[in-house]
Amino acid sequence: MSHRHSIFCILPPHMLEQVAQNGSSAQRDMATHTLSASRQIRERRISMAAATMRGNFTAASTFQRTVYDAKFGTNLPGTIARKEGDAPVADISVNEAYDGSGATYKLYSSAFGRNSIDNHGMKLDSTVHYDKGYDNAFWDGQQMVYGDGDEDLPVSERLFNRFTISLDVIGHELTHGVTQYEANLVYSNQQGALNEAISDIFGSLVKQFQRNQTADAADWIIGEGLFTANVNGVGIRSMKAPGTAYNDPVLGKDPQPAHMKDYVTTSQDNGGVHINSGIVNHAFYVTAIEIGGYAWEKTGQIWYKTLTDKLTSNSNFQNAADATFQSAVEIFGAGSLEQIAVQKGWAEVGIAVNGTSPVPTPSGEGCLKGLMRSLGLAA
Amino acid sequence: MQIIFERSGGFMGRKVSLSLDLEELPEDQAQILKRLVDESGFFDLSINPPEKSVPDGFTYSILINTETNQRTIQVGETNFPPVLRPLLENLMARTRSH
Repeated sequence: MSHRHSIFCILPPHMLEQVAQNGSSAQRDMATHTLSASRQIRERRISMAAATMRGNFTAASTFQRTVYDAKFGTNLPGTIARKEGDAPVADISVNEAYDGSGATYKLYSSAFGRNSIDNHGMKLDSTVHYDKGYDNAFWDGQQMVYGDGDEDLPVSERLFNRFTISLDVIGHELTHGVTQYEANLVYSNQQGALNEAISDIFGSLVKQFQRNQTADAADWIIGEGLFTANVNGVGIRSMKAPGTAYNDPVLGKDPQPAHMKDYVTTSQDNGGVHINSGIVNHAFYVTAIEIGGYAWEKTGQIWYKTLTDKLTSNSNFQNAADATFQSAVEIFGAGSLEQIAVQKGWAEVGIAVNGTSPVPTPSGEGCLKGLMRSLGLAA
Repeated sequence: MQIIFERSGGFMGRKVSLSLDLEELPEDQAQILKRLVDESGFFDLSINPPEKSVPDGFTYSILINTETNQRTIQVGETNFPPVLRPLLENLMARTRSH
């Protein structure tokens, strides 16, 4: 990859275009040169990404979905309710689990070139109608399991709907499988919260991919539709505004922090894995908004590379920050807008990236200010 | 007999808990609970260690205190003893009535 002058690292194209048109002769030359170099680099990246995707499609991944019915018992996997290629059945939970695992497979395959949970075409097994009054979904190490919420209570007392209702929940559970085969993050404390955040991140991307939504159009809600009308809440978690998803007399208030200063130390919930994940979720959200466009295309790529190449079972938030920063360099180049966006995402939640990679300047702001100064646009 | 029950973890990470003193319950309810505890063999039950980590799974903790015995059992989705399920169902139903 060619090296650009460090000072051109992060000025966005629209600003460079302004300078190219309105600057002094020397400024116009510099800006024009930079714009041309950026375009070449961008085009090269796009063609590389397209080649990778074509490669994946020719690998022709076939997937094998089976949905089982536990019939309100707890024996797994239960009896087969729908298998790959079968027409939809009368049971909506069965169809949601079938379609949702297909949508999740599709995101991983199309956006990241991954062939199922283990990247080797692992079959996708799900069980619905698990237990009675079971307001939960989980990944048991081999398959997804979904309860029906409060199906056994009178409608006026129900808080939870069936857990297959929310596509991002399905993407979340399957991603626990992906994490198990990749970083295999320990499921407690900060490592566990990172594990949880990765499931929320890719779960949300599954939903955004299916809806063809850009980052600014997405709701960033995890578990939309899980609550019945009896609950005051929009979902279980908000990546956009952690801590605001629900506030209800029975369920209490969404306990998620959005910043390290509010990190919750607790022995509950494996050390607050579903609480502190809000911090990482929000860092992802800020980065995705900063980069713009479809979140799976760039921010998702950075995180997928981080999950599959860089994180290990004991990685904590700081490791994830440094690793995503490094992944952004490897995919988009040192000093790229994408790398700066990653840094900004983490800064917003109170984590300073300790880049181990060769970066042109210690911070994006310094870089920007340097360029502005050299062009006589800033003091 | 006292029973302290707690369910933690899960997709939502919300804890539900319950503390019961059977002396303070209506006689019929106390009798049902005593029977469920007896039938589960609570104080002699052997618990297997969890086979694996279960992301988003619940963890259940049941502490029972009698004049002669005290024990806390903590189990997850994959090592939950079926014999304990009727007691769990009774306790869960109590946490859900609001």
